[in-house]
Amino acid sequence: MGPLIPLNDISEEINLLVAFLIGIGFGFSLEQAGFSSSRKLAGMFYGYDTTVLKVFFTAAITAMIGLTLFNELGMIDMSIVYVNDYFVRSAIIGGIIMGAGFIIGGFCPGTSACAAAIGKIDAMYFLLGSLIGIFIFGQTFPIWEELYMADHMGPVKISDTLGVKDGVMVLIVIIVATLMFWLGEKAEKRFKREDITKEI
Amino acid sequence: MSTRVILTIVFISFGLIAAILPEKDYSSQELDAKQLLHEIQVENYMISADEIAEALINEDPEYQLIDVRSEEEFKQYSLPGAINIPFEKLFDEESLAYIDQIARKNVFYSNGTTKASEAWMLAKQKGFQNNYILRGGLNNWYKTIIEPNEPASADDVEAYYEYQARLGAKQFFTGQGAAQSSGAKKKARAPIKRKKKKMVAGGCS
Amino acid sequence: MNPYLAGLMLGVVLLAAFYITGRGLGASGAMKSVVVSSVAAVSRDYAESSHYYSKYIADGKNPMKSWLVFEMLGVLVGGFISGAISGRLKFKIEKSPKITNRKRIILAVIGGILFGFGSQLGRGCTSGAALSGMAVLSLAGYVTLMAIFGTGFAMAYFFRKNWI
Repeated sequence: MGPLIPLNDISEEINLLVAFLIGIGFGFSLEQAGFSSSRKLAGMFYGYDTTVLKVFFTAAITAMIGLTLFNELGMIDMSIVYVNDYFVRSAIIGGIIMGAGFIIGGFCPGTSACAAAIGKIDAMYFLLGSLIGIFIFGQTFPIWEELYMADHMGPVKISDTLGVKDGVMVLIVIIVATLMFWLGEKAEKRFKREDITKEI
Repeated sequence: MSTRVILTIVFISFGLIAAILPEKDYSSQELDAKQLLHEIQVENYMISADEIAEALINEDPEYQLIDVRSEEEFKQYSLPGAINIPFEKLFDEESLAYIDQIARKNVFYSNGTTKASEAWMLAKQKGFQNNYILRGGLNNWYKTIIEPNEPASADDVEAYYEYQARLGAKQFFTGQGAAQSSGAKKKARAPIKRKKKKMVAGGCS
Repeated sequence: MNPYLAGLMLGVVLLAAFYITGRGLGASGAMKSVVVSSVAAVSRDYAESSHYYSKYIADGKNPMKSWLVFEMLGVLVGGFISGAISGRLKFKIEKSPKITNRKRIILAVIGGILFGFGSQLGRGCTSGAALSGMAVLSLAGYVTLMAIFGTGFAMAYFFRKNWI
């Protein structure tokens, strides 16, 4: 029964080795998806390339369906799988700041590492900027501490908030996502511009 | 057909399956008063000193003894292999890793049975499985295993064998007499702590 | 690669992460480890006295020996392998022809600063909070996702010259 590492006495070294291997899969998938290109990522916001939407939701739904089936088959104990703690204000404000960073810098932390790995110089500067940003947050933490800790709701699930079964929530997310895929492909036709992949 | 259409069909099919399947929940369910009453009435939550003695001698990993007395009392005397979870620390995160698990039978004990029963009741109410009580507590353990009474009449065969078994157990636990003695202390197993309920750290923190 | 297929591949990796370790993927956490260990290297006493850094170096813990740091090292390797296979290894600055390299770099640093800061306040970035959170139906994940992309769309118009 999973999750394997927390349920079994597995040494720290193996855990870190697994982290490294999973990271390789993560980096490989991101790069293959084209996420090492900031113009492709930014395309999401102008409708000429909705790869971000497609990859992001396909990935989340695949994992979601997998977890649901694993749970149903008794292969994973969902009660110990990590669900992010919800702090209302910091999640929203943090998200807004990240959104601004995304449209200005063209990357997010994971994709910038991936792009830096294939030699994108702008991504290396973005990474440097992230380190500075984290350092600034660390240095000014006392100012934000109250905001950071405000409105703690615990590890809330969206299905609990809406009062539906997890399985029904999975279906809802899938329906919304497939509608967005359809809209995304329409947008790509409408806001079409000459292929930028050659420049990438 | 485009990839999107295929994916949409596959995803929605899986989504429908997920929505139709009954919710499975492996986490503990809290009991209401009525269910608790039923559990108490069934009375299969007591484990006798003889059973425990036999399990300890045979190094049977089925039971995990949990001493709910204070730390001082635990240090003075405890059963082999027992772990100490003082009553007031019953629901500490560390303790829950032992109490809320499904691998082994927890046997609560105290001097009498009061503390152990209270601990059992609370655990039961929380919906934790696999918790039991040592019948008669340590007092009874002492009476039956450490200082067993010789049956009044030798005619009672059952009582006689029980007495013999207890004498054997006494030797095992007190280390008096026979060759067994050397092993008695060493054999106390280290308690297995189930990692089950340890929360996973995650996200980006 | 077809984006849906790449998404499936990423989803399988994410599922494997949950099944093996009980946690999803992450990125900004590894960068925080780099920052924390740099601060601690300069002055351990200072780091220990800080509310923010101290919890990552308590009891002689080494923040670099963490799950996310090794995962991100893997990301660098995995990204490099993929780039090598697809013939995309090349030092270059990617930008719209309408802006200069210098402007692109400055904007990249500013964007990075904002993203780094926001990821700390929001307890995770697009990977750790949004993607992994969505897979386990975490409300925080969906809220963070909507905040990130909502802001992106709202501000897109003002930065169109950088990209189009």
